[in-house]
Amino acid sequence: MRDLRVAVESKEILKGIDLTVEPGRVHALMGPNGSGKSTLAFALAGHPGYQVLGGSATLDGADLLELAPDKRAKAGLFLSFQYPAAIPGVSVANFIRTARQSVRPEDLNPAKFRKLVFDKLDTLDMDPAFLGRYVNDGFSGGEKKRLEMLQMAILAPKYAVLDETDSGLDVDALQSVGRSVNALRESDEGKDIGFLVITHYPRILKHIPADVVHVMIDGRIVKSGGPELADEIERDGYDGVRASTSSAQAEVAAARV
Amino acid sequence: MSSGTETRGTLAFAPDAASLDAALASLAEHGDAHDAALRREALARFEELPAPGARPSRGWKYDYAKLPYEDLAWTFGRVELPAIPPGPAVPPRARADETGDVDRPALATENAGGLYHLGATFVDAPGNVDPRVTLLPLDATTARDFAAQIEPALHHVVDWRADMFAALATAFRNCGAFVYVPAGVQVDLPLQLIFANGEARDEAVFPHVVVVLGKGARATVIERHVGDGDPFVCGIAEAHLAEGAELDYVAVQQAGEAARVMFSRGARCERDAQVRWHLAELGGALARTVLSARLEAPGARAEASALFFNTGTQHVDLTSGADHIVGPTFSDTVVRSAATGRGQGRYVGNIVIRPKAHGSDASLRDDALLLSKRAHIDSIPALEIAANDVKAFHGATVGSLDEDALFYAGSRGIARAEALRLITLGFFEPVIARFPGESLRDEIRTALDRKIDDATELGA
Repeated sequence: MRDLRVAVESKEILKGIDLTVEPGRVHALMGPNGSGKSTLAFALAGHPGYQVLGGSATLDGADLLELAPDKRAKAGLFLSFQYPAAIPGVSVANFIRTARQSVRPEDLNPAKFRKLVFDKLDTLDMDPAFLGRYVNDGFSGGEKKRLEMLQMAILAPKYAVLDETDSGLDVDALQSVGRSVNALRESDEGKDIGFLVITHYPRILKHIPADVVHVMIDGRIVKSGGPELADEIERDGYDGVRASTSSAQAEVAAARV
Repeated sequence: MSSGTETRGTLAFAPDAASLDAALASLAEHGDAHDAALRREALARFEELPAPGARPSRGWKYDYAKLPYEDLAWTFGRVELPAIPPGPAVPPRARADETGDVDRPALATENAGGLYHLGATFVDAPGNVDPRVTLLPLDATTARDFAAQIEPALHHVVDWRADMFAALATAFRNCGAFVYVPAGVQVDLPLQLIFANGEARDEAVFPHVVVVLGKGARATVIERHVGDGDPFVCGIAEAHLAEGAELDYVAVQQAGEAARVMFSRGARCERDAQVRWHLAELGGALARTVLSARLEAPGARAEASALFFNTGTQHVDLTSGADHIVGPTFSDTVVRSAATGRGQGRYVGNIVIRPKAHGSDASLRDDALLLSKRAHIDSIPALEIAANDVKAFHGATVGSLDEDALFYAGSRGIARAEALRLITLGFFEPVIARFPGESLRDEIRTALDRKIDDATELGA
């Protein structure tokens, strides 16, 4: 992402984002509510309600912003939704089969696909009865997030954006999500996936260790650093980061003057 | 067909006395005249009754006073063919060339026997009728031989005096079927009634189906309308269920694209009897359907599961009704309808709970999905409750495609057209899931899928 600016209903939310996620690395994007984190996720995935005002977003050289949502997925982008939509009447099995065939046509025969699905269910400790249920229809918060993880594992994208995957999860469900991400990262298919983990709380990073942590406030990334930045947020809160960055910015501004 | 015999009357059809006189004369000539007085009475009633949809009547969207009857042939007859091999096979298609040869139908799903009509001509080729069951064309011979069994149902379930098209069907009946399942007999495989139309000529087809189930009997009947012709079909199906009987009655309408199909279907349920209607209106230019159930004794139950999907300029008017005459009786209605292009539809759901129907339970749920700006569906649930201590639920929605669901599917790599297909098929699933038998359910899904394809190609 280079200087990415995005508006929702004509209101500028993202005010110039510069961020690069490398294959196989985990970037955490942290920030208080309303800072624009989820806007970034939706804009990357191509939600029609988000207008890109300027800047660029590319995926391995492809211009994402030119592509329809499904083409972005085919290019290798995966978004795990904070609030995944229900699709009543469409079974999980049918949905993930259709998705996999769309993203990777002619790549698996039915028997192999079945084996893949059952392997992933096993890794995620999910009941195969899940497959017969309708997509997210009547699912609990934890079940929805597990289904997102199942789809991510089956689609094996190049880059995955996890939008507040920890929100609404209890400790067990959070551990399960962490295990599934780590299992994917340890697999052949998943070892090169670049992750952007969007979160409000540092706790998910205990389960999915980040290589780089970014802090977003008011539509801008105000600070980037190593995993220790998450600890700092845990200790001082976003107000602490805000105070230190505003004084730092003031110094920069003063130096320019 | 060279191997069979054929008796057939043919005359130009008009919904008037001259046409009926000619029809009766033709039937008499072939020894098949019966109910002549009743038919005349029914025609008189047809002429008296207001056309549904004409103002100020409510409930029907199409103005049936404008319905044209030009260039239709009223026919009847019988062709004998070698036995149809038992199914299952491909979905039935019908064709008739100039010589009247019939490409025999397959009885789509695995079955316990079937009856086949090409236009109003009965094609006598039963292959595998379950010997415990009576399955015959409803002609004068059948009416005489089975008078005692037919009597409780014929003309006593669907009230032709109250409905213009039921009256017309009664007057001009030219084909039909009689299904009798004796007490205690339970038939697991479906019995199939196929009404097919070739391309040769526009026919006026007036089927009359009578289903009688004895005490504790159980059966599934599938009524199908298929073929490439464009008939005017105006029919009645009446069922009488004795104590504890269970009937799944399926109607799958896949008539030709200019066909008009009017059908009134009704059931009378005695103590603990259960009727389950399953209706899929998929073909034709105009379809008008009435489903009704009279719950006459405690424990009786009626379920209705109906769907329609209007593409192009298709129009469907659907009314379902459950009449809780005594209590406790039960009804459960689920309707899903969708329209795209300039498709039009109306659903009216009538639930009546009469004063003596204490302890009854009625549920009515209908949802409509509009897939284009010019599509329109009205949804009118109506509950009339005159008893205390009853449970009644009704809910209705009319909505458009869920953009969040479309985006969600898109984010998984599923292109918009494919996502639209998935979501639309999923929308119908709660109704399809109530149809009996996986092969039938798959058939309905495939037919809907094909309609989605066609609608997409038309750019609707």
